[in-house]
Amino acid sequence: MSVIEVQGVTKLFGTTKAVNDVSFSIEPGKIYGILGPNGAGKTTTIRMINYIMIPDSGEIRVHGELVSPKTQHLIGYMPEERGLYKKMKVGEQLMYLAQLKGMDYNTAKKAIWSWLERFEAETWVKKEISELSKGMQQKIQFIATVAHNPDIYIFDEPFSGLDPINSELLKEVILELKTAGKTVLFSTHRMEQVEQMCDDICLYSEGSKVLEGNLAKIKRSFGRNTVEFEFEGDGSFLDNIGGLRFNNRSNNFAEIVIENGLDPHALLKVALENVSIIRFEQVYPSVQEIFIQTVKYHSNKGVTA
Amino acid sequence: MNFSKLLLIFKREYITRIRTKAFIISTILAPLAIILLIAIPIVLSVMETEQRQIIGIQDEVNTVFPRLSDLNPDRYVLMSSVSVDSLRNLVLQETIDGYIIITEDLVQNNIDAELLYSGAGGINLIAEIRSDIRAALQDERLDRAEVGEGVKEILAQRTSLRTRKITETGDETTDTLALFMIGYIMCFIIYGAMFGYGAIIMRSVIEEKTSRIIEVITSSVKPFELLMGKVLGVGALGLTQFAIWSLSAAGLMAIAAPVAAYFMGGAEVPSQSGLDPQVAAELPFEIPVVGAELWITFILFFLLGYLMYSALFAAVGSAVDSESDSQQLMLPIMIPIIMPMLFLGRVAQDPGSTFSTITSLIPFFSPMLMPVRVAMTDVPAWEYFLSIALMFGTFLGLIWLSGRIYRVGILMYGKKASFSEMIKWVRYN
Repeated sequence: MSVIEVQGVTKLFGTTKAVNDVSFSIEPGKIYGILGPNGAGKTTTIRMINYIMIPDSGEIRVHGELVSPKTQHLIGYMPEERGLYKKMKVGEQLMYLAQLKGMDYNTAKKAIWSWLERFEAETWVKKEISELSKGMQQKIQFIATVAHNPDIYIFDEPFSGLDPINSELLKEVILELKTAGKTVLFSTHRMEQVEQMCDDICLYSEGSKVLEGNLAKIKRSFGRNTVEFEFEGDGSFLDNIGGLRFNNRSNNFAEIVIENGLDPHALLKVALENVSIIRFEQVYPSVQEIFIQTVKYHSNKGVTA
Repeated sequence: MNFSKLLLIFKREYITRIRTKAFIISTILAPLAIILLIAIPIVLSVMETEQRQIIGIQDEVNTVFPRLSDLNPDRYVLMSSVSVDSLRNLVLQETIDGYIIITEDLVQNNIDAELLYSGAGGINLIAEIRSDIRAALQDERLDRAEVGEGVKEILAQRTSLRTRKITETGDETTDTLALFMIGYIMCFIIYGAMFGYGAIIMRSVIEEKTSRIIEVITSSVKPFELLMGKVLGVGALGLTQFAIWSLSAAGLMAIAAPVAAYFMGGAEVPSQSGLDPQVAAELPFEIPVVGAELWITFILFFLLGYLMYSALFAAVGSAVDSESDSQQLMLPIMIPIIMPMLFLGRVAQDPGSTFSTITSLIPFFSPMLMPVRVAMTDVPAWEYFLSIALMFGTFLGLIWLSGRIYRVGILMYGKKASFSEMIKWVRYN
């Protein structure tokens, strides 16, 4: 059975469809990524799964049960807008939030201590949140999300605002959660994290789902028409070849999308004549490439329709 | 409704607040502020009487001035030999503040005396001089008419009216004025408390919004539970504060009685009201004993009023981003709090009238008006319990309504809500 099932969900704000007839399901033990530009409806969807908002139509089920205060306890949720009580002590705050999630006092205490140890944060217990640095606050926020040991974790833009060290730590912990058999859902703009972590993805554009499925399968369906090309010399010859699009380009590197059915081998031949090649590799398109292409395709369709 | 969560929220709101400096400071400062509010007008009125105005008297009959001088030796100065022009000049030079010419005509005929003065002293001075002149002339006329002492005594007698309330437990000698004062003070305390504790609720909601913790909380509890816990927690805080004040007031009274007795030179006989009888006699009314029934009413109506208004304040808090944005939305809350103050006079005049009954039954006015009525008269039990039921019902309705506004409002950042917007939120799911 799917852990989270979103079926034909629509949410209106006034007359704007923030989420428009979206369906997807998340399988147990997977890391699921929701991608999409700002204002595409990711946060609204996540809030509905957390029973903070209620859909205008459609249903959301968690472990087969319609969302309710009961299903809230099964989820650890870190919102995009992070926040804790500024004037409350770290220990009391974590205890309070864990107990609100239905944990009893002793279990909560044990769980919180083990997480504090994991993040080397035991000495902060008596400090007020406002005394902590931003990085420290982020760790406490994370503990507040996971302390009640739920089955499902939902992170809305988890990497935004994190310094590189915490970012790496969070990635590590999310992968650990997966290893422990937990299900993780997160939304993000950061494509490299999706690339490295997600099993399945769902792509949003203007409130609608435009692409969903297993990440590897999606990549394959886009074909190997992308070339990663590293070289030494003058790369200006590339500008004279028609039908190429550049995703990433610097003096010695280009991620090239071949758009007009040109044979990559022909491109390689031209390249050999002009520069010395360090690497020439045919790859699946990056998530970023898929993201840009799909969103562009759908918003163009929207304009012409 | 999940009671264990409600209890958690209640505990957090109560415990984190009671430990703050703000709580300790407000507990100390609020009674001081009230004492100052009472003391300042008294001090000012005392200072006013200390200022002496001098009134020159040109006494053509010679027998009236001594009578005036008896009444107020510091004020009246005999200036019979000074000419009218000089008297005018003395007033203009501010050597004296005014003068009166007492003529034979004035004594014999019932005509008006005339005070010519600089304008200083105000209506108090004029009223005092009027009464002095009236008394002096009356005495003079009575002496000339050669009436006996008996007649004078009769004229000097003033009959006053005492009031005694009849109750089923027997007559009580409590004075209506004193009862009104008590009701009035309770009314004002409740009025202040509505604003004070309501603002705490509003600030607390805004704080959760600006610190962005609200989304974490609402992913764990229902807005209704959160609001309820918050409102009850701050309500308990208010009760704690009132308990501290009541106990310290009782303690002060116990200390004050012997101290006051010592300074008044009286015997140390503590009376029932905690005041020395001699001190009590100086007061314009008796200090009544506030009965248990009135205390319970006060606490009950304070609580219910607080619950209703705090629900409204919470709704305002959830609709705005900062306290400064809240002013516009506060107005409709302030009107029902202030309106009972306008009705207070009418209600006190006749606490049993239809007007009093109706206004004190309107849930938004009950917390302020019902305690005044209960203090002054016997409110029929059905009215009493009906108003409690109405307030409780209103509270439940309001907190439900606030919960709906809250649910939408708290997740709206950077957008100022209008009333039509808030009504829309109520209808949202």
